[in-house]
Amino acid sequence: MRFPIQWKLKWAEERWMGQLLILPMQLLIWFVLIIPMLIVIYLSLVSWQPIMGVDWWQAPFAGLSNYVQAVQDPRFLTAMGRTIGLVLVAVSLEFLLGLALALFFHQQEFPGKRIFASILLYPMMLPWVVVGLCFYLLFLDKGPVNYILISLFGPSASVQWYQNPILALMTIALADIWQWTPFMFLVIYSGLGALPPEPVEAAMTLGANRWEIFRYIVFPMLKPVILIALIIRTLEAFKIFDLVYIMTGGGPGTSTESLSLYLYRTGFIYGQLSYAAAMALLVLILVALVARLAVRPLEREL
Amino acid sequence: MPKRAWTSVLARWGIVLLVSLITLTPVVWVLSLSFKPPQEWLAYPPTLIPRQPTLENYLVLFWPGNPVGVVSEMVRTAEPVTRAFINSLIIVPISTALSIVIGFLAAYGISRFGAGGNFLPFSVLTTRMFPPIAFAVPLLVYYRSLGLIDTHLGLILMYTTFTLAFSLWMIKGFIDGIPRHIEEAAILDGASRWRVMFTITLPLIRGGLAAAALFVFIMNWTEFLFALIFTSRFAVTLPVQVSRYAGAVGRYYGPQAALGIIASIPVLIAGYLIQRYLVRAFTFGLVK
Amino acid sequence: MAHKEQVLIRLEGITKEFNGTIAVQDLNLEIREGEFLCFLGPSGCGKTTTLRMIAGLERPTRGEIYLRDQRITDWPPQRRNIGFMFQNYALFQHMSVYDNLAFGLRVRRVPPTEIERRVRAVAQALELEPVLNLRASRLDLSTMQRVALARILVIEPQVLLLDEPLNNFRPGLRELMRAELKRWQYQFGRTMVYVTHDQEEALTLGDRVVVMNAGRVEQVGTPDEVYWRPATLFVAGFIGRPPMNLIPVEYRISEGHAFLISPDFEMRVDERRALIEASSFLPRLILGIRPEQLLIPDLHASSHEGLVRIPAKVDLVRPLGRKLILDLKTRSGLLIQMVTPSTRRFAVGDDLEIAFHPHQALLFDPHTGQGLY
Repeated sequence: MRFPIQWKLKWAEERWMGQLLILPMQLLIWFVLIIPMLIVIYLSLVSWQPIMGVDWWQAPFAGLSNYVQAVQDPRFLTAMGRTIGLVLVAVSLEFLLGLALALFFHQQEFPGKRIFASILLYPMMLPWVVVGLCFYLLFLDKGPVNYILISLFGPSASVQWYQNPILALMTIALADIWQWTPFMFLVIYSGLGALPPEPVEAAMTLGANRWEIFRYIVFPMLKPVILIALIIRTLEAFKIFDLVYIMTGGGPGTSTESLSLYLYRTGFIYGQLSYAAAMALLVLILVALVARLAVRPLEREL
Repeated sequence: MPKRAWTSVLARWGIVLLVSLITLTPVVWVLSLSFKPPQEWLAYPPTLIPRQPTLENYLVLFWPGNPVGVVSEMVRTAEPVTRAFINSLIIVPISTALSIVIGFLAAYGISRFGAGGNFLPFSVLTTRMFPPIAFAVPLLVYYRSLGLIDTHLGLILMYTTFTLAFSLWMIKGFIDGIPRHIEEAAILDGASRWRVMFTITLPLIRGGLAAAALFVFIMNWTEFLFALIFTSRFAVTLPVQVSRYAGAVGRYYGPQAALGIIASIPVLIAGYLIQRYLVRAFTFGLVK
Repeated sequence: MAHKEQVLIRLEGITKEFNGTIAVQDLNLEIREGEFLCFLGPSGCGKTTTLRMIAGLERPTRGEIYLRDQRITDWPPQRRNIGFMFQNYALFQHMSVYDNLAFGLRVRRVPPTEIERRVRAVAQALELEPVLNLRASRLDLSTMQRVALARILVIEPQVLLLDEPLNNFRPGLRELMRAELKRWQYQFGRTMVYVTHDQEEALTLGDRVVVMNAGRVEQVGTPDEVYWRPATLFVAGFIGRPPMNLIPVEYRISEGHAFLISPDFEMRVDERRALIEASSFLPRLILGIRPEQLLIPDLHASSHEGLVRIPAKVDLVRPLGRKLILDLKTRSGLLIQMVTPSTRRFAVGDDLEIAFHPHQALLFDPHTGQGLY
């Protein structure tokens, strides 16, 4: 080739520099991600508890018994079902509310719009525990929600929110919806703002009404953004821990326990780390599968 | 203005006000609670503006034994939040800075040299995809052997790694947005690759880096699960302290509310500053 | 054609303001049935805004729009049945070409068999049949343009509005597509309103040209009128490449004769006296002469009488193949451009005498910018 030798040197140097640049990140990833993953696989195949008195690398081999126990554990399975249900309800409501708000803010002009938009955004910045605390305090037996109910419907309308499993779950879902509808609003609103105006105008001149424009033009153009928002929020909501921990502690009984909370208790309160490891791996596989399925339509879109 | 226009303006305002009200109420209620003396905590009917406002709920958080009033008498046994506050102020900024520095270096390597191939940038995303509890189980075993439990270093390492996904992807988005020919011009002028990275590219994405840093700060400041599991006395952070007040101190709603407010202020300020970057941040730069 | 003179769209006193800045001011215009009308002007002159108001995409701040004597100022775009072709074509990228074409009919609730028939017919006319099932995002530019046109033709609009549709083409292809457009206009015989900033495009395509500047109409006329009889100084300077020479002159009466005097030449204008004296800024006037109307007398053996002669020096020679452009400096330092056949060689610094026929010179009032005809 006619390239001067310096060019070749430059390329070699750049390869070397690239490797060097990603080295710190790779070290951290090995240290906090990959090695622990190997350990969790190992742990799930042995039987070990911190109180057993043996070091963890000397624990007796247990085969797949932890996994067998997990798939037969009703508390694990109900926690899983409950979490999935919570995610479905909360995320779909967040999506619908966020979409409606985003469309409203996108189409309407009114004074103070920017200020209102930034007011809507603040909940997602708050620490989860603080959101949990806020809603916990709102739904106290003598809290403001009950006060409003009583003044509207009389003294018998007062509800003991945390005594009833369904109602307790509802308060958790409400807190999640309150905190994360802004996320959906924000992503969809900025997605709407980034759409080119011409296709919508073209549809108008071709005679489409507002609904047809939304259904056939705006919504399809927005689909990638919506999919990204839904995937991120679903994965995030599936982790739910802080809200449950603060608001109900999983109670009454274990009736509001989320998957993360049950795993936390198994591993760190009851000390059954091997069993927790097996359940954690099952959860990882499930999440990975769901994520894979969810990303597929997105790949088609992009 | 015709009559119809007026009603539609009113309807718009009505919707907006209602939504803002719903958004603001929970926090405003807690804010009001934090200034109330004990007899008003559960007063019936509840008051939005405290009748006898007091700062005691805040003071008692930092000087619990100090007998200045009724609240202090009640929560005499609670531990002061001072340590948690200082811990958060140590752990969060350090891990944020580390995350940004490491994220910037890696983002530059990936964006400009394709280092790590396709796999690396996506593998980082898995840290945000899976429930953190799944990582906590093995990390506990491992941290015990290394003596990292209940240490600042232990949390800093975790926080740095688990926010790398955000800093890497956000910063990579900013670097990708800078045309290469700007750098190439500097190289032709004889500058070395390293020099170009620090004196050309870095200043150009300064604003983006600041936004990424503030966002990572929010993520670290609000983290709860790892802090709950991996700290017990020495390295406790503010969210854990909030949860302890909510649990252990039981019905002392005033101090709980005050602590919640204190824990929220830094992230609210940070969030306000990076408003226009929030979409990018929360979606790893996938939506701009 | 008899119906050609019939007015299809009438704009009456249209003004459009955006947050206090005026985009279009007091525009009056009639668009005739079946004509190809071109809006021409520099960017930001309000031509696209006018087009968007006709389509209903913008609402005029003041004034009325009529379609066949029906007031449509308040009608939404959906009701107007006007086809609008966007600069970037605004195809529905997520749909197939077929769905793009069928969209306007589907939202009109046209029966499916009818849709199929009409889409196929238009697709055939514009040679789009092979791409009907492709996604609109996969087309090349010229196909996109045809799809955009087909999409509006299929709804059989009253009028087609085209907003700089050739802007995205590279120069060679641009001329080709221009010819295509002209052919389509003959083929489909529809009223077309066409916005462009390219004067060549406007002059070749338009039956009539509307020249706009800073929100106002400067002139409406046929391409010939606009070129040879510019109504205002702006039109004179805007149209033509190289632009018309605009020379400041002074009007003087001496010994009963009217003269225009410049440091470089004198010209008798007795026959235009009445027109000139209507001007508001006397004695000052602007004289306009096209570069191709200037000649070099010793090359033309024919009648040199009555020519106005200007001595000048060659400042720059710009060959253009068959022709060349000469930049000349007169004694007083005035710059004059002329176009001349490249049969003769010129060198920088050559002394020349150039001339023009006085009856070809145009006169403008420098204050109002109006031509004095």
